[in-house]
Amino acid sequence: MINDITSQLKKIAIFSGLSNDALADLAEKASARKIAKGEALIQKGEIGNSLFLIYKGWFKIVTVDSKGDELILNKCGPGEAIGEMALLDQGPRSATVIALEDADALELTRDVFKDILDQHPDVSLEIIRGYSNRLRFAITYIERAIDWSQKIAEGDYSFIDQSQPLLNTADNDDDKAAQFLSAFFTMVRKVREREDGLKKQLEKLAFEIDQTRRKKDFEEITGTEFYANLKEQAKTLRQKRTQNE
Amino acid sequence: MNKGKIISVRSFRGGTGKSNTAANLAAQGALAGKRVGVVDTDIQSPGFHVLFGLNEKKMGKTMNDFLHDKATIREIGFPIHENVGNVAGLSKLKNARIWLFPSSISGRDISQILREGIDFNKLNEGLQTTIAEFDLDYLFIDTHPGLNEETLLSIATSDVLVIILRPDNQDLQGTSVTVDIARSLDVPSLLLMVNKALPKYDPVAVKKEIETLFNAPVAGVLPLSFDMADNASSDLFSLRFPEHEWSKGLRGVAQAILALE
Repeated sequence: MINDITSQLKKIAIFSGLSNDALADLAEKASARKIAKGEALIQKGEIGNSLFLIYKGWFKIVTVDSKGDELILNKCGPGEAIGEMALLDQGPRSATVIALEDADALELTRDVFKDILDQHPDVSLEIIRGYSNRLRFAITYIERAIDWSQKIAEGDYSFIDQSQPLLNTADNDDDKAAQFLSAFFTMVRKVREREDGLKKQLEKLAFEIDQTRRKKDFEEITGTEFYANLKEQAKTLRQKRTQNE
Repeated sequence: MNKGKIISVRSFRGGTGKSNTAANLAAQGALAGKRVGVVDTDIQSPGFHVLFGLNEKKMGKTMNDFLHDKATIREIGFPIHENVGNVAGLSKLKNARIWLFPSSISGRDISQILREGIDFNKLNEGLQTTIAEFDLDYLFIDTHPGLNEETLLSIATSDVLVIILRPDNQDLQGTSVTVDIARSLDVPSLLLMVNKALPKYDPVAVKKEIETLFNAPVAGVLPLSFDMADNASSDLFSLRFPEHEWSKGLRGVAQAILALE
């Protein structure tokens, strides 16, 4: 059981650099929580004080849109951690998390976490190092995103095709960056499609013939004696040609 | 008697690339093994004969001389295939059979012609004689833009009317009247060709839209080409650059003309 929890804790980004000893210590001090279907594990706006590791069952992460309707942001299930940032900062929860079925989770409070840091001084450094890596990774993509945004503003979408390989090589360890890239590219592609569609619609609308003028011009040309004669001669000529064939 | 077809190439306004198109269409017909004649009646476009490598010095008798009984059709026809020289595009016509029938008609001469009663029948007789004397399959006429009496005459005598237009409202408006006139004069075949289409247009959509507007076939939507502008009036573009998008589109139009019954 402890081993199981240890390996799951290791998957959580901020713990990834921790030694097995430290992780076992963490696992031991975590407390089990049972959550009934429909119950909220986390309430949006509360000051976060602990991390939850889902052990069994699925949760929905929700917020409320401007009309007051529930908006599901995501779902999460066994093996996933929720609220890990709360261990480091004391910010309010950004969304509500509700159990979709009866579920089990492990709770790790900030106090427990602090004890661990005291007992394993190297852990702090590991956590900072981990965050530094993620930050560097994220900044690279933010810089690119700034560059791409400027291109989009100028109507240049050529980077989509050129940058496609980046999506496939995005580091799996940090799937938030990969998700951001993927969402960004989807957005740009859709914007381009919509723009192309509108452009063509505009060009199409531009094709117009003034039928009144068309009729007037036609009558002006065909209303002469010259034209009447010509039409008669052309008719005779065409009849002759048909006969000759 | 009516062996050869008379193909009138015209446009509502100048600048559509009409003369260039007419010359290239005729050349493509000749390359396809047809005996082709080209009559130049567009005085606004004095560079037309230059496309075929003919300069003022080489130009002898003109269609005017024939219409005034001063020359025979034989004397007027200029065999392009025998005078292609080393020009990259033109020289491909070496084994073809294509003649140019130049016209030196000035604005004043047109009114003179009309005053002197050179009428529809006379013009038609001239064209038919041209076809018969040179045993032509196709006689292309490059006409002056607009709808004056001279152009009405050439429409009336045509078997096929090819209207070149750019995809803009002014050309569409003018083309609509030309289409109506062609139908009123019972021109047997009518083909539209869109030229100088900007890349922002979807050619398939343009073709569909214009065909619906006029209830007439669009034989090609050819792109605006700066390569072409660079090469203008020195050689036949579709022969010199056969792989260019414009040339491919032009061949499609030529094939549509040759396929007509």
